[in-house]
Amino acid sequence: MISGLQIGVLASGVWALGLLGALHRRAQGYGRRELFARAAGDPRKGVAYAFGKGMSPAAKESAREHLPTWFAGVGYHLGILAGLGYVALLLVGIELDGMLRLGFQAPLLAGALCGTGLLVKRAFTPRLRALSCPDDFLSNLLATAFVALAFARTISARLDAAFLAETMLLLLWVPVGKIRHCLFFFTTRYHMATHFGRRGTFPPASFPPRA
Amino acid sequence: MPELDELEARLARLEPADFERGLAVFRGKLRGAEASYLETCVRCGLCADSCHYFRADHELKSIPAYKLSQVASVFKRHCTVEGRLASALLGAKSFDRAMARTWVEAIFGRCSLCGRCSLNCTTGIHIATVLRAARSALAEMGLVPSDLQSVVTQSLESGNNMGITKQDWIETVEWLEEELQTAVGDPGARIPVDKEGARVLFTVNPREPKFFPLSLQASATVFHAAKEDWTVASEGWDLTNYGLFTGDSVQAGAIADNLLRSMQRLGCRVLIIGECGHGYAAARWEAPEWLGREHGFEVRSFLELMEDYFREGRLKVDPDRHQDPVTLHDPCNLVRHGGVCEPQRTILRRTVRRFVEMIPNRAENFCCGGGGGQLAMARFQAKRVQAGGVKAEQIRRSGAKTVVAPCHNCIDQLMELNREYRLGVSIKTVAEIVADALVFDQPVGR
Repeated sequence: MISGLQIGVLASGVWALGLLGALHRRAQGYGRRELFARAAGDPRKGVAYAFGKGMSPAAKESAREHLPTWFAGVGYHLGILAGLGYVALLLVGIELDGMLRLGFQAPLLAGALCGTGLLVKRAFTPRLRALSCPDDFLSNLLATAFVALAFARTISARLDAAFLAETMLLLLWVPVGKIRHCLFFFTTRYHMATHFGRRGTFPPASFPPRA
Repeated sequence: MPELDELEARLARLEPADFERGLAVFRGKLRGAEASYLETCVRCGLCADSCHYFRADHELKSIPAYKLSQVASVFKRHCTVEGRLASALLGAKSFDRAMARTWVEAIFGRCSLCGRCSLNCTTGIHIATVLRAARSALAEMGLVPSDLQSVVTQSLESGNNMGITKQDWIETVEWLEEELQTAVGDPGARIPVDKEGARVLFTVNPREPKFFPLSLQASATVFHAAKEDWTVASEGWDLTNYGLFTGDSVQAGAIADNLLRSMQRLGCRVLIIGECGHGYAAARWEAPEWLGREHGFEVRSFLELMEDYFREGRLKVDPDRHQDPVTLHDPCNLVRHGGVCEPQRTILRRTVRRFVEMIPNRAENFCCGGGGGQLAMARFQAKRVQAGGVKAEQIRRSGAKTVVAPCHNCIDQLMELNREYRLGVSIKTVAEIVADALVFDQPVGR
């Protein structure tokens, strides 16, 4: 039988998806730039590069020079994805055990640690703190708590209510705060990639591009 | 500090209607891409070191994400419901006098629109595009630094950004033609002016006739050696377009139209943009968008044309004439924004004995600090030279004795860096390097 909290999670999911869709429509409502200059490169190749090699530390100096943070970011996002997968399984009544449970626990634990690390970094690095607004802390806190509680829930079913309640809060906040980048990351990277792909900058003639 | 006072005076005079107009222009510049960019920043701060301003001063205000956040906060406050309802929580801010001052300082004073942060942004925000939209808003409000605006005004009024008269231009070309004839030992060598139906119309940065005539002569020598059917125009010959930097698309389009009218008047087939980064980006990529129509002809960089000449065997060079190590500066507007990355390398590998790359290079190369109109804005000179320290260090580490820069704005900045940081290098265009290495079997063009 579906509990009230499960219904709440589903409703929050609908809210998140619905508002993300609205945000997408709002952004695209600004229209599409009509381009007259003849293309020098292939935008599709630019997109393939930007979503592939172009995200790797080999291609990006910002990733290369900040590898711990970059790996923490990757770990954090993998943890969040694992958490979302886990909550989806719980909603359809599947309890994990054995190796499958371990397969979820590893990224969840890593995600929780990485998220905490990034939160601490934001709070205690003066420059990063100055760059931040309250949403940065709230979003990070909600997502980290979500991953941490997901991990805890894999250990104890007694945390079911806490985990589902936290999931609701997270989903409610997704389209309001900066977690909306779960959508805009893709649209932004697409637009940037088509721009540089069209101009022949992406993909670079050699890889890694600095060689 | 007259410019500072003038800007403050302009800020003080702003009325609510001015802010409304600025915001309207800003909104008008946004399309789906820019609106998406403005929603995406997570303020991870990883873009910081990609900016030469930040590398030089390590100030919060120089972090690309900070500069973007000043614009995004206004977008949130004035263009989104959630930003109006929860401004403090979401970092949304009103567009008021203080914010306008912040925009000027951040967007004109600490950004050369080089786009290096865009490539290094975790999420892929093309920050330079957003900041250019913000410059457009400031232009609408009359907040473009006056010395930058005066370059645009000069172009609009006289047809070139240095106010060179038609007579002076023609006389300079005639003088250079004589110099060319002497240099190549061929009295038949020409710098054709207004030759109708020529295949190539060659356009020039006014700094060449004004301050660097040998640079123009070098280009003419290359054309002569390649036996090109080319011409310069007596009017509409200036390839620069500082409208790209002020963000005023109407003025930028009007300046770009000068070149297009020359092409139409002379019936040339290929518009060749001399060695100038922003000039190339403006004519090749932006002008069709400003004017709302496709060029009916090809627009190419002189570098691409020279590469063709080499490939077709039309130029013979002796690389032994350049024995010292030579390095290459990648102008942002030509390489990162323009996509012209390899021709200059192909040319230099054939023309000099020891070509060494700066690290990093190509699309990852650092801005010299002179882009984005920085060279024209006196009030930000100290910051510009400080930010250029990153490029100076790149040059020093390369061990090169000669720096090749296919951009006259970059050359101006590099010359200043050469003095300021005591680099002890010579700075040349690609055409100058090629011209110095050219081997003439016999006089051509007779």
